[in-house]
Amino acid sequence: MASRAHLWFVAPALILMVLILLLPIALAGALSFTDYSLGNSGASFVGTENYERIFTRSTYEKMFIATFRYVGVVVPLSVGLGLGAALLIHSLTRFGALYKTIYFLPVMAALIAMAIVWEFALHPTIGIVNATLERGCGTFLEAWPWYAKGCDRTFPLWLTDRDYAIWTVAFIGVWQAFGFNMVLYLAGLTSIPRALYHAAEMDGATSGWDRFRLVTWPMLGPTTVFVVTISIIRSFQVFDTVEAFYPQGGGPSKSVYVMMFAIYEKAIQQNLMGIGAAITMIFLVFVMVLTLIQRWLVERRTHYG
Amino acid sequence: MSAIALEGIEKSFGATRVLGGVDLDIRAGEFLTLVGPSGCGKSTLLRILAGLEAPDRGRVLIGGAEVTGLRAAARNLAMVFQSYALYPHLTVAENMMTPLKLRDLPRAARLPVLGPLLARDRYRALRAEVDRTARILKIEPLLDRKPGQLSGGQRQRAALGRAMVRNPVAFLMDEPLSNLDAALRVHMRAELSELHRRLGTTFVYVTHDQAEALTMSDRMAVMQDGAILQTGAPEEVYADPDSLDVARFVGSPAINILPGRIDGTGGLGALGTALGRFRTTDAQKVAIGLRPEHLSLAPAGASGFEGAVRHRENLGADVFLHVDVEGIDRPVVLRTTPTETRDLAIGAAVGIDADARAALVFDETGRRLRFEAAELVRIA
Repeated sequence: MASRAHLWFVAPALILMVLILLLPIALAGALSFTDYSLGNSGASFVGTENYERIFTRSTYEKMFIATFRYVGVVVPLSVGLGLGAALLIHSLTRFGALYKTIYFLPVMAALIAMAIVWEFALHPTIGIVNATLERGCGTFLEAWPWYAKGCDRTFPLWLTDRDYAIWTVAFIGVWQAFGFNMVLYLAGLTSIPRALYHAAEMDGATSGWDRFRLVTWPMLGPTTVFVVTISIIRSFQVFDTVEAFYPQGGGPSKSVYVMMFAIYEKAIQQNLMGIGAAITMIFLVFVMVLTLIQRWLVERRTHYG
Repeated sequence: MSAIALEGIEKSFGATRVLGGVDLDIRAGEFLTLVGPSGCGKSTLLRILAGLEAPDRGRVLIGGAEVTGLRAAARNLAMVFQSYALYPHLTVAENMMTPLKLRDLPRAARLPVLGPLLARDRYRALRAEVDRTARILKIEPLLDRKPGQLSGGQRQRAALGRAMVRNPVAFLMDEPLSNLDAALRVHMRAELSELHRRLGTTFVYVTHDQAEALTMSDRMAVMQDGAILQTGAPEEVYADPDSLDVARFVGSPAINILPGRIDGTGGLGALGTALGRFRTTDAQKVAIGLRPEHLSLAPAGASGFEGAVRHRENLGADVFLHVDVEGIDRPVVLRTTPTETRDLAIGAAVGIDADARAALVFDETGRRLRFEAAELVRIA
């Protein structure tokens, strides 16, 4: 008789995965085709109506625009700054730990609390940002038309002007995220064998750029794939700043109506479970595709072993 | 004129003094081995020569010109590292092309995609160089593979190829064989020697393995505690060591050291047996070094030294017999033939004959005593 011991080994993980991952996803998938709302005794099947709505209504168009703008700004900047900061800190012989701590602080801080601080700092009349900008009036900075306009009238209402709101939120996202990337890059940098730099020197790589091209960047390949994927997923997930700044619906003209907030607003605030589930499924597809791309990249391009 | 000269090299890491005033002349075209126990400063010396480390004091000269202040890239030396240090994201061919590209191509021609298009002829010339070197090393089939897909020996060859491809003044090798398995290591020794004969370039080779130093080098420099103890041809260092440390380090199994003394009349004795007579009247304690091949088996009771067999180390052609002799802490090792020792059981009492003419005598500080021997007898 064949032993069934293997089932006992696999079962706990399998059961947990089905219970807390697959089943909820399946449920959300099923709900996304209904008009279910909490408290209702029943729900009726509406087919793909929820999805059609998402891809036709302008509210959801704004949702996609806001989300992709946020991701498009936060990912390259937080990865780039993270790499830059890591390279600078790695080249230090002293005070490295101090800089590491300083840059990592925003990661450790609760973003919702930091959002309040930023709200003060960016306040149009009492905020430190515009106050500082006003001090520059009357100097050479006014040669910059944008600055002159600011001095002339007022500097932007960073959080409530629909031309600025999403970029300001993205800036805070970068501020918060790059310290995390920096730490990952620092770990990647310390694992590069010193001998490779020596080999590069012997081979005639005399400039820092040559060494970066030949050794550092390729050796950070696996780290970069991971950092970029994590950054994209985390940027798609942005919620707390938006919720803190704009508890009533996604910012000026819904310009900061990011996906996570949309899910929250539809499913929780307005109790429209069906449409909320549909957005969730789309979100899931995005994350899934990204993860698959990452797997593929790790296996194809950066796996040197 | 020497190809490379190191003069008065000193180096400390913090409070630890790693090199204390090392002088070394390396002749053009020779295979010089720096050999010593780990931590003796041999790798540091090599890295100072390469330019990867700066000496605290002293000068490095290549071809008569001082290069002490010159960076490694400007010294035209090639190095093979212990870990090979191949670029893992590049194929073997690209690895080998890297030094050529960095040295011979202008910046514009090194651009990722555009470069090879702009300077197609130059790239073809470099590729030809790579192919030529690959043919010498017989690694042509490996050129399109990445280091991760190669075995240890193949990586070793690829690293050699990367060093060879641009005709450097000298090859520096930092324990290049220590990551290979035993059989391959022996094979690569012969191959490296042959490569050296073929290229005629100066090789500076660092190892902790005295066997590698003895088998490959034209000259070897034995190092210990940041100083070169002795420099010379392997035969010379083996047969005529200047100090007890060198005698102990070179040779496997290690030399036997017997406590002895020279009396007021110059008589040399060990363990109560007279070995010979020196023309000196300085009575002193000495250490007498006798290599395993200078000792032979004698019937028990017939000779000066006696002991009990402790271990029989059979190497096929030779058998090294470890014998406990009273008055010495470590067993005395002698080389015998399998037929001689076939019937010897562990614990059997045996006598040892010593060829006193081959005895190496060291004073209490470990310095070699080279009195002209008036009479050295073979103990029988």
